[in-house]
Amino acid sequence: MNRAILRCIPLVIFLATACRGADRPTASPNAEVGGTMIIVQPAEPNSLFPPKVSDSQGLSVVNAIFDRLAEIGPELETNGDAGFTPRLAQSWTWSADSLSIAFALNPKARWHDGAAVRAEDVRYTFAVYTSDTVASDIKSAIPNIDSVSVRDSLTAVVWFKRRLPSQFFEATYNMYILPSHLLAAIPMGALATAPFGRNPIGTGRFRFARWEPNARLEIVADTANARGRAKLDRVLWTFVADPAAATTKLFAGDADFYEAIRPENKEQMRTATQLRLHTVRPLEYGYLQYNLHRRGKPLRHGPPHPVLGDAAVRRALAMAVDRARLARSVFDATGDAALANAPRVLIPDTIAVVPIAYDLAHARALLDSAGWRVNPADSVRVRNGVRLSFEMMAPSSSVPRTTYLALLQDQFKSIGVEAKTLSLDGPSMGTRVMSGDFDAFMNVWGMSPGRLGMPQTWGATGDLNLGGYQSTAFDVRLDSALSAFGTSEARRLWTGAFQQLIDDEPGLVLYEQRKAVAMHVRIQNTPMRPDAWYAGLADWTIDPAQRIPRDRIGLGAPR
Amino acid sequence: MFVAATFAFVLLHFAPGDAYSSIGGGMTDEIRATLRAQRGYDLPLARQYVRWLLALASGDWGWSTSQQRWVSDVIAEAIPRTLVLMSLALCASLALGMGIGAWQGARAERHVAARDTADRAVSVVTLFVYSMPQFWLALALMFCGVRWFGLPSGGAVDDLHDRLSAADRLVDRLRHLLLPWLSLTLAGAALFTRFQRSAMRDAIREPFVRAARAKGSRERDIRFQAWRTALSPVITIAGLFFPALLGGAVFVEIVYAWPGIGSAVLKGVDYRDYDLVAAVVVIGSAMTAAGSFLADLTRELVDPRNRLEHS
Repeated sequence: MNRAILRCIPLVIFLATACRGADRPTASPNAEVGGTMIIVQPAEPNSLFPPKVSDSQGLSVVNAIFDRLAEIGPELETNGDAGFTPRLAQSWTWSADSLSIAFALNPKARWHDGAAVRAEDVRYTFAVYTSDTVASDIKSAIPNIDSVSVRDSLTAVVWFKRRLPSQFFEATYNMYILPSHLLAAIPMGALATAPFGRNPIGTGRFRFARWEPNARLEIVADTANARGRAKLDRVLWTFVADPAAATTKLFAGDADFYEAIRPENKEQMRTATQLRLHTVRPLEYGYLQYNLHRRGKPLRHGPPHPVLGDAAVRRALAMAVDRARLARSVFDATGDAALANAPRVLIPDTIAVVPIAYDLAHARALLDSAGWRVNPADSVRVRNGVRLSFEMMAPSSSVPRTTYLALLQDQFKSIGVEAKTLSLDGPSMGTRVMSGDFDAFMNVWGMSPGRLGMPQTWGATGDLNLGGYQSTAFDVRLDSALSAFGTSEARRLWTGAFQQLIDDEPGLVLYEQRKAVAMHVRIQNTPMRPDAWYAGLADWTIDPAQRIPRDRIGLGAPR
Repeated sequence: MFVAATFAFVLLHFAPGDAYSSIGGGMTDEIRATLRAQRGYDLPLARQYVRWLLALASGDWGWSTSQQRWVSDVIAEAIPRTLVLMSLALCASLALGMGIGAWQGARAERHVAARDTADRAVSVVTLFVYSMPQFWLALALMFCGVRWFGLPSGGAVDDLHDRLSAADRLVDRLRHLLLPWLSLTLAGAALFTRFQRSAMRDAIREPFVRAARAKGSRERDIRFQAWRTALSPVITIAGLFFPALLGGAVFVEIVYAWPGIGSAVLKGVDYRDYDLVAAVVVIGSAMTAAGSFLADLTRELVDPRNRLEHS
């Protein structure tokens, strides 16, 4: 009996070891897959419920967990469906009148809980994004979609109000498809606060793993995904609010990716051989927004502003600013002078658009001829008892924008313009802007690839037209540009629209910032799209020869 | 606490803007109005106050607009982390401060302060640490800790903490705790040292010390008795310091990315997160009251004269 037990001992030990081995995380057998990437980020997302996510922190995670019907190409072409690649939809068919598109969903597509993706999910998604009670920011970006219907369980038809070149873009770019089988039972008004927003289930090549508030968020490769698993095993976002602490974490090797490297870290980057620098041009531009109406009146209403309501003054202010020098002063090599009211990548013909040149003599002459005379007592110009003076605001949280205030103040002074500066926190500044209680403020607009937001920001009836700019000529040119199907015609019309804005000068366009992204050398990335560096995250890999211990964890469950 | 809660509510609402005032994100006027109506921000202030107070009385702390989850969840998660950091820092800074301060104070009897090099050196160091901004001290310690000792730069645990063995997890927690704890401890110890030194210098010159010496008591016992009488001001300060640590922890939590209540409330103020900030003010006032009560209790325990004063 005892001998029998003794003989069994090696077998028991072997089995125990084998079982223990099975519990352990296993490294991925394929050399191309595997690895852990840690992204250090200054803030965490507010939510992961796609219709309520508009910040880049949240979008980078949402884009990995959820899918659109189709994905825009690297050229960011929004005219028709050229360049778009299938995602949840494996194909699509245009109707004869081009007023509807039938999307055929991938029959193998599954939600991360195992349920099949159905056309009903597409219909439900549109209902959520356009619901008044959900109050999604995206609603204003899909004004041309009339409805979504279900032809069969795998075919969703998107119906449009009018035929436009950007129809396909509008239907695919703005909406991440939501799981109706999980959310339809929740009232629309409760969706934003539902637990789903902190524990999402999507169809992306990554699935959600965990979110420790104010600390970290983890996604892992979805090994059962119909489009193939993500090549990285996991991506971890770690949240560090203080920039100095964030860069310390990066340089110490505790993180692999940081998208907000500042000019003062340039020297440190040179010596950090484990890191390499990438430059991303986000679709943003910074400008000084003028209030064209009398201050204190409701936004976009009231008589013209006594100073900034005069187009000659606005043009003179533009001539007084050496935008190239200012961009270099503030951003060093990571900033450029803006060309027009959009980043260069979204201006179809950058040669034809002519910005107002820096010319102090011309600026002074323009003000003289407009009747603004220099008062010898304080060197500030006056006309009919009105001083050429106004106030500029900037959010105190933004170092570039507050620096710009000081530099602009100095440049305006050289032509006899008094510009007072004021830094305020975000909500305080927002309150003043929304009530029309401002002269000018530093603002940054992020744009979508299709320039579809321009009617909102600069159109006469746009909700985000914060300075109350109203120009029928611009509105007509913009509408024509947005409706043009031919490429050369669109280029010509867009040039006209941008030139009209430059001539009217409702805001002083100043800069385009290039983001300096630091990344560990072992990470091999796909090209980073200007609108979303994270768009190809599922195809990023880690060089097998350079893997470090955290890359070998595998996909096993935590201990 | 009621008064503090009311003040917090009123002052927060008087600050310009609310959670939906910031520009950006493509939020239209219509969406802003909808969201304000959903949260009741469009109601008159008095009605908002009554609603908030009734909810608070029923245990509903409200909804955090900055974190998009219930305030009770935010607090339940963040407060324990801050309390761990604060209580460990308070204990260590008290022990250090009382020890160093008592040692400095006791030397006053034998040395003329102006010529006592050791006392002066320690005073310069404590004054230097005390006058340093806490975030700067935290950054300096982080630089040294990460560069020379390979300590983690931030967070309460490693990003891959749950992949470690039980023993490694404990070590990981301690390693992450070390730098923020040291930052708070040094700042606190510098404060307590200065108060303890001053109180000890006064106590050591009291007549009862001379009487005890004349009676032939052991020097160790005499100093212990003098130290006991010199504890009252330090305990009072410690009572006040307890809730103040909540504020002091804000900078340390930001620098070390410590996911406590300090960093949560700072974000809350930025976002005009009324419910979260008001809840933290209520908790802070409760901690102030608790700190004062504990200080009174301890003072009576260590110095019987305080009990006699009451009776």
